Amino acid sequence: MNFTLFKHELFASLKLFAIIIGVLLLYIVSVIYMYNPEMTDMLKKFTETMPEMMAAFGMSSIGDTLIEFLSTYLYGFLLMILPLVFTIMLANKLIMGYIDNGSMAYLIATPNTRFKIALTQALFLIVSIFTLLAVTTLVMIVFEKLLFPNELDLTALLLLNCGLFLLHFAISGFCFLISCSSKDLRTSYAYSAGIPIVFYLIEALSNMGGSLDKLQYFTIYTLFDSDKLIHQDSSSWWMMGALLLIGLLCYSLAIRFFVKRDLHL
Amino acid sequence: MSIIEVNHLTKRFGDFYSIQNVHLQIPQGEVFGFLGPNGAGKSTTIRHLMGFLQPTEGYCSIKGLNCRESTAAIQQFVGYLPGEIAFIDKMTGKQFIHFIAKLRGVSDFTRAEELMHYFELDASGLIKKMSKGMKQKVGLVCAFMHQPEIVILDEPTSGLDPLMQTKFIEFILAEKDKGTTIFMSSHMIEEVEKTCDRVAIINAGKIVAIETIADLKKRKSKKYMIEFQDEQELTRFFDEKYVLEQISSTKVVITITGDLQAFLQSLANYKIMDLDVISQSLEDIFMHYYERGGTES
Repeated sequence: MNFTLFKHELFASLKLFAIIIGVLLLYIVSVIYMYNPEMTDMLKKFTETMPEMMAAFGMSSIGDTLIEFLSTYLYGFLLMILPLVFTIMLANKLIMGYIDNGSMAYLIATPNTRFKIALTQALFLIVSIFTLLAVTTLVMIVFEKLLFPNELDLTALLLLNCGLFLLHFAISGFCFLISCSSKDLRTSYAYSAGIPIVFYLIEALSNMGGSLDKLQYFTIYTLFDSDKLIHQDSSSWWMMGALLLIGLLCYSLAIRFFVKRDLHL
Repeated sequence: MSIIEVNHLTKRFGDFYSIQNVHLQIPQGEVFGFLGPNGAGKSTTIRHLMGFLQPTEGYCSIKGLNCRESTAAIQQFVGYLPGEIAFIDKMTGKQFIHFIAKLRGVSDFTRAEELMHYFELDASGLIKKMSKGMKQKVGLVCAFMHQPEIVILDEPTSGLDPLMQTKFIEFILAEKDKGTTIFMSSHMIEEVEKTCDRVAIINAGKIVAIETIADLKKRKSKKYMIEFQDEQELTRFFDEKYVLEQISSTKVVITITGDLQAFLQSLANYKIMDLDVISQSLEDIFMHYYERGGTES
């Protein structure tokens, strides 16, 4: 790994990181704040009147505990989409951004192998996503402790966020792979944003139930099941394992691709 | 022993041959010019030398190291100026230069400072706002700041004003005295004529000639433009046996390859208004190669 490059990326992506985490924290704090039994009753009525709509966004069962409430309102949409936006932008910038504007020529004209450059960028992406979710988790714990000290289920929360990280690790691996193997920035953006969004939409459709249920076998988001994670269902372990494997596979393929590819710089 | 070796290099994209069987050997300390029109395959060849592209056939090596396999080792002693001017936009010139130096593991910036001073570059502004010439200077500083033994330059003077081009030529000559091996592509005849020992001319992906600059210069024939007093004088002159080309009713251009003395003596018999030497540039010689290469492919 090249520390100079890592440090450069750190400063270059600080702004994006700050914006994403700012929005994320604002929502998380408000959602935690919103939690109270009366509110839950109202939302339950919502679900009864239009179950399909609510189900699409993963808000089918409003649990009775705080963690179930959070998993419904944060992990169905917000914590899926915002880190995804962050991942897409960063993954594209880290490799294809340099190739597309030509400055990659300067990076690989230094005595650093392509492997080293790609590995540095991959590690930076992983560390960034990890930090993003770690800060999120920390803030959740702090606010739950402050507002509802009796309701905090730490194990379930940590497990839920661990699963979330692995999901984003896998998706970021995919985006990184696209970034390393596309011919230009536009194609790279199109595929690295398009495919995860299609997956997310398939997930939304499959959540609506009925015959659409079968669709869950065609999206990566099925491997993140908040209910199973909260209740420490045994199948959640192999799901996390699968996400880890997909991520590792994508990252190693991406680096291999980048080392072997032709660069017109 | 040749320090840069391009061995029967071919690169094919689909059905299109970007370069075909390019074969070059450059000994240590030589300044080698690589000339050709746009799209002839100059940059493609250079990208192979930098290990950016995988050859379809053949290979290249620098100091005996394979350019595709030992990139990091090669980059220790090679400086490179890309043909495309591209930087990380959000940085100032200085930040970028320091960034690249650190990526190289260089912490001594005295040479970089010297170079910035020599090329009169104020690199404190954002690269995004720099003119093309200033960006090119940033690139040149990056290529030379670690005192490389071998430098590969892709169209180094593009964007530089004529004054800077002259300074650049002096700079290259000074580097040559230090023993630096320089491989540079260009479509500017002048800088190549003034700096290079040898040139290769490439057209449509094929090397059409490799010659020493000295040989090329020898082959230059002299041309004279003569303006006669009137048309009768000119018609009288037609009887002399010279290769000439009439450009107006009283003007001709004569190409002299043989005895200049005899030519001047015969001229004395005519009433002449004006005599001008047209210096034939290497360009004319190259044009000949370009055209030939073009019709072959």
